[in-house]
Amino acid sequence: MISKVLVANRGEIALRVIRACRELGVRSVAVYSTADRDSLHHELADESVCIGPPPAASSYLNIPAIISAAELTGADAVHPGYGFLAENARFAEICERVGLTFVGPSSRTIAGMGDKAKARETAAEAGVPVTPGSDGTCENAGEVKSIGAEVGYPLVIKASAGGGGKGMRVVESEAEIEDAFLGASREAGATFGDGSVYVEKYLERLRHVEMQVLADSHGTTVTFPERDCSVQRRYQKLIEESPAPGLPEDVREGLMEASERLVGALGYEGAGTVEFVYADGEFYFIEMNTRLQVEHPVTEMISGVDIVAEQLKVASGGRLEVPSESLTPDGHAIEFRINAEDPSRNFLPQAGLVEVYNPPGGPGVRVDSHLYAGYRVPPHYDSLLAKLIVHSRDREGAIRRGLRALDEFAISGMETTLPLHLAVLEDEEFLRGGVTTSFLAERSLESEGGLLRLNKVHA
Amino acid sequence: MPEMEENPKSPLPLGEVERLVELLQESGVGEIRVRQGETEISVKARSEAPVAATQAAQVSQGFPEMVEPETSPEMDGLHSVRSPVVGTFYRAPAPGEDAYVEVGDAVSAGQTLCIVEAMKLMNEIVADVSGEVVEVLAEDAGGVEYDQPLFYLRPEAE
Repeated sequence: MISKVLVANRGEIALRVIRACRELGVRSVAVYSTADRDSLHHELADESVCIGPPPAASSYLNIPAIISAAELTGADAVHPGYGFLAENARFAEICERVGLTFVGPSSRTIAGMGDKAKARETAAEAGVPVTPGSDGTCENAGEVKSIGAEVGYPLVIKASAGGGGKGMRVVESEAEIEDAFLGASREAGATFGDGSVYVEKYLERLRHVEMQVLADSHGTTVTFPERDCSVQRRYQKLIEESPAPGLPEDVREGLMEASERLVGALGYEGAGTVEFVYADGEFYFIEMNTRLQVEHPVTEMISGVDIVAEQLKVASGGRLEVPSESLTPDGHAIEFRINAEDPSRNFLPQAGLVEVYNPPGGPGVRVDSHLYAGYRVPPHYDSLLAKLIVHSRDREGAIRRGLRALDEFAISGMETTLPLHLAVLEDEEFLRGGVTTSFLAERSLESEGGLLRLNKVHA
Repeated sequence: MPEMEENPKSPLPLGEVERLVELLQESGVGEIRVRQGETEISVKARSEAPVAATQAAQVSQGFPEMVEPETSPEMDGLHSVRSPVVGTFYRAPAPGEDAYVEVGDAVSAGQTLCIVEAMKLMNEIVADVSGEVVEVLAEDAGGVEYDQPLFYLRPEAE
């Protein structure tokens, strides 16, 4: 077994990993920037090392500093969490070279899935349905036009190195292709240092459905019931739930089979998520995230499996310990991302002193957060403050529990997305279940007696 | 309190911590730090910033030099030279050779004080002011953090 894990991250996910280590009897090393001197991950780890100044490029993305910290503390493994270096193939490769166990798949797999155009090809070869579009990347606007003629409009041009909506353009007709191709390519080059793009048919009314997988080095793979992450704002997930409301059983089976085929073809090891879009009864592969995801607790709640603990076991060369009954959803779970953003002011990021922090409790409630009263939210990093996960026998019960827990949740000192979540839980379409990714874009936020309300603006 | 699992071999010196807390309260100083063998106990007053309760008492083992010093040398007119990288601190250019500087030496701005090795790269750390070496704060061949004070210098009078 791994004996000491360096956690190359901060915030709630660093705490999540440290907690798993503690329960497994594995020692943990936190790394932190000078902006995080008062952070809980630095406090709760067995050891901690300051690795650099506040900007992430000099601290949480600073590979030499992180490797040095691992060497100095005698850590034998590195858990990258999500974000930062979690999908950096070069970092994984350096860890492999200096003899540190990288808690995740091999650097080769990370690189293969990080290149989105290549990932599409790999998936198609493995027999996983992909959205109609280009085979690999498109070299010029002409290629995009011929795909348009073949599969029809609208199309979406996407950055091969990308994610999160960067380097992405939707084109409604052939006339728009020249500009969109150049724009997407330029943006991709500026953001990811790689301007290559690929093209897919743009599906308009779709749901985001993803499959959590775990695989060990002994050939065992488990695929958990799907998560539905359709409530998004500008490609950022806000609410995730499992199982997906109203998903037909044959679609679920198809998703599980497709994920297993891809995982098998990759010889995948560790935790990962295969992401699909689901529209008009059909599903298509979009990408695979080769890391732990923010929303993994949703799956943990309905399966009873500690995904981070399993990751550490797999990284140690051990066997997965997932009983087959945990692959049948036990009830329903919903996660709400509480971000330091002001929903009333176009989600303006917030930073500053947390004056009051009172997380909800009671049955079926889990809060993963690095906050405490008196903590100062630094302006340098992402805005996630807390994840509230509720679990109940069915979706209706989970929603009632969510309303109750969100109402109890008190954070003062800054605006958060708490009122937005309450508004979503009052929305009829959300309550019915199965909303598409344009759910929030189709609604305006209005303030009513101090509470937020969603109003549908167009069909 | 996570630190409770720190020392599997010998029992935690909780009595010592208690005595230090009392001493801290009586004396009114900001921090007391003691070290015996591999065990270091540091007790801090809750004055500077609101901190988590876990910070009130810390017992750490194995990496004592990683603990961030909270003293303020500037108060005594001292200047600290800090590590710009995470790495291993070396006082001499090579094993067996003389240290770059000793306490009491006069150094001039730009003069090499030590090496911090990070990933096989030797980073020479130089004095940014001229003055006298008052204290060497890190242990030779020990690990140092980013921003950790390595030396106190007393700057030359203008």
